[in-house]
Amino acid sequence: MLIMIRSIVRPEKVDNVLAALMEAGFPAVTKYAVAGRGKQRGIKIGEVTYDEIPKVMLLSVINEADKDFFIDTVMKVARSKGKGAFGDGKIFVSPVEESHTISSGVKETAYAAEGVAA
Amino acid sequence: MKEVIAIVRMNMMNQTKEALTEAGIAAFFAHEAQGRGKGFANPQVLQGAREGYEEAAALLGSKGQLYPKRMLTAVVKDNQVKEVVQTIIAANRTGKPGDGKIFVVPLTDAVRVRTAEKGAKAIA
Repeated sequence: MLIMIRSIVRPEKVDNVLAALMEAGFPAVTKYAVAGRGKQRGIKIGEVTYDEIPKVMLLSVINEADKDFFIDTVMKVARSKGKGAFGDGKIFVSPVEESHTISSGVKETAYAAEGVAA
Repeated sequence: MKEVIAIVRMNMMNQTKEALTEAGIAAFFAHEAQGRGKGFANPQVLQGAREGYEEAAALLGSKGQLYPKRMLTAVVKDNQVKEVVQTIIAANRTGKPGDGKIFVVPLTDAVRVRTAEKGAKAIA
């Protein structure tokens, strides 16, 4: 089965995450800028509260068997030094029913088709 | 109810919009994204890298260039999925790598904010 992994990470960590994913064998990623807040309700600096903190969303669709490895790879790089910090981000996993490659028209519903599409 | 997420070339947006409108799927939203695909990597090398062989990882290198893309998302009924996918493929296909991807993701509910209608009514 295919799954979609959406990781929300700090903008300054993106290059490291992308490099780590490439090295781990997951070249295919889509990235876009987002803004949001978490359960800490943003950051309060002095009198000002920032509740739209810029982040980057990384979207990947992978085979379910690679899920844990993929998440470990992102987590290792995206977490702040030591124990991590608020604002390091979130990773969401959701099911994908079909994936079509436009250039070849290949429809993937399982890992077996990946070799054809590559 | 399904969410169809398509990542396409930037210069294909206009003809994709026209094709979708002609097919009767007028509603979608889009934003800019950047991405990279499998490129020209050998699937065996990719699999090797996933299994932890250092030689395979070295072959892949660590720099993948990101290309500007458009990401468009349409929420449609189950029976429209095939038509939307075919329409997007027909409008965007050049046959070269980089044409993009289409993902079909299940959705459990949708709400129209204006009327608070739920489910299939909200996307009709």
